[in-house]
Amino acid sequence: MNLTAHPVTPEEVMAFLDGELSAAEVQAVSAHLDDCSECAKILSQFRSLSPSLSEWAVETAPAKLETSIANSISKVDSTGEIGKSNFLIRASFWTWKQWAVASGGAMAALLLVVAISIPNLQRSRARPGAAYYYDRQPDTDGVGTAGKLVQRGAGYVTVTPPGPLRNSTSLYGLAGRDKDTHGDRIADEQSENSDQDHSYSPAPMIARTVSLSIVVKDFTASRSLLDTVLARHHGYFGQLNISTPENAGRSLQASLRIPAHELASALVDLKKFGRVENESQSGEEVTQQHADLVARLKTSRETEQRFRAILQQRTGKVSEVLQVEEGIARVRRDIERMEAEQKDLEHRVNFATVELQLTEEYKAQLNPPAASISTRLHNAFVSGYHDASETVLGIVLFCAENGPTLLIWLAILAVPFILVWRRYRKIVSTL
Amino acid sequence: MSDAAENPSVANSVAIETDEQLMTAFSRGSTDAFSQLFSRYKQPIFGFFRRRVADPAQAEELAQETFLAVLRGSARYAPRALFRTYLYAIGLKILRAHRRKTAFRATFMGTATAFREPAAPDPDGSELILRQAVGKLERLDREILLLREFEQLSYAEIATLLKLPTNTVRSRLFRARVALRELLDAPAPNLTAQDLNEFEERV
Repeated sequence: MNLTAHPVTPEEVMAFLDGELSAAEVQAVSAHLDDCSECAKILSQFRSLSPSLSEWAVETAPAKLETSIANSISKVDSTGEIGKSNFLIRASFWTWKQWAVASGGAMAALLLVVAISIPNLQRSRARPGAAYYYDRQPDTDGVGTAGKLVQRGAGYVTVTPPGPLRNSTSLYGLAGRDKDTHGDRIADEQSENSDQDHSYSPAPMIARTVSLSIVVKDFTASRSLLDTVLARHHGYFGQLNISTPENAGRSLQASLRIPAHELASALVDLKKFGRVENESQSGEEVTQQHADLVARLKTSRETEQRFRAILQQRTGKVSEVLQVEEGIARVRRDIERMEAEQKDLEHRVNFATVELQLTEEYKAQLNPPAASISTRLHNAFVSGYHDASETVLGIVLFCAENGPTLLIWLAILAVPFILVWRRYRKIVSTL
Repeated sequence: MSDAAENPSVANSVAIETDEQLMTAFSRGSTDAFSQLFSRYKQPIFGFFRRRVADPAQAEELAQETFLAVLRGSARYAPRALFRTYLYAIGLKILRAHRRKTAFRATFMGTATAFREPAAPDPDGSELILRQAVGKLERLDREILLLREFEQLSYAEIATLLKLPTNTVRSRLFRARVALRELLDAPAPNLTAQDLNEFEERV
């Protein structure tokens, strides 16, 4: 239709028929229809459509509908309540958009929970290792009995081993190994041989380890009592960690070395500290290992003696003398290494290890000393920043760890999902 | 319109109380008011579903659900719009939920399309041809056409129900009428039982 020739559009003609125009528009369209046969024809076409549609009749509403509604009205009259609607067809049933939003929210919440729990899980796994950390700085003062006390941040005290191995060497007749003269060394080694032969016995050699967890009421007293017990039984600290967290009970983790023959009595004393929560004992038999070591050591010493006899009794070229001395040096290195192993083994047998954990029974304070507002704000900010970064890291780690698997599953499930979705949309469009 | 019983607006013109007055009275506890509303809209609402759902039993169930929804929501009713707009809005929501449920079931379990028997004797098949032509219209155009022709809603009411601009409603209604006119003027095809089953659910 040409709008210049027809100031009224066909849509307006239709709206005129439907009574959807204003009075002024009705007047204008009506005037145009009187003059324009083409528009009048359009009007008659639209007008004839409604009678055509009237052929589509429907049945009278069934009487059951009236009955059921009447029953519902009577329920309203009597109880003021109506039965629940059919969940699947009630008006408030979610649309697909609502389902999508709800599903997305649930997925986001799940991701958030996973992201938060992963760093916490990692931290909880990392804590036991951190608790057993101690300083392994070499003992440079040459005393080796007092150990070193090192401050490791708030609430942690670390004590280095007091050098028992250095002292224990004297127990096995090696105190004079620092002597310089060649003759003295030979004499010492010979005396060692005899000592070692005597020290070796067919009795089983067992390295014992005990783990003990005790809850104590008075932590300070228990701490000093622990020193007393160690002194009484001639033991020492292999390691000591003391933790004093805020608003929680203090705890002590120590690795005690106690002479094997005094282990039983030391344990009795330790158990008097408080309530034993956990106790476990284990023993590692090293008899065979020790016997092998002694035999190899004996052989090496005999070899060394033969080398020395050759050097003293026979003469030859300088090169031959040098070769013999090299042999002596090599055997000497082996002997020293094996001796160290032997000492360590024997020390493990002679000194049992007690892994002790003391935990204080915590009593909450009525008015705990509160930190200043600025400190609390600072701590909260740092904690929040840390948690946020951990969360982000957790999400990244989760995606990195599970992303490829999820992508594979997504690719596998995408095809059937798309097929089902297309089928669903097709069916919906036909309804 | 075709059926006087389906024109409550005509009936309302002579009623003492308007639909909105009756609904307000019902929300204040007058069950007689709801009985009057039900008698006015029983047939229009049943016809609304009957023209959109193949199974008469389902149409009856959905009509019942619509009235029950009005009963349940009476306390929250506020006469901001015409009652019939409110009623058809509920009907449309229930119809959409029913379609989603039906489509979901059909997606996974398949469905047997029920053939809709004509309500009245149809010796020349004119009703069937009409329903087929309406079924071929684009979905939204079809809905606008049905709401206008059978529910007698104004352009503004249809726009409110379908959340469309009024001008869009008018242009789509024009398009639907032109398309339907062309479909009805075209030579009638030889329909087979398979063809009938295919288009029945579209209407």
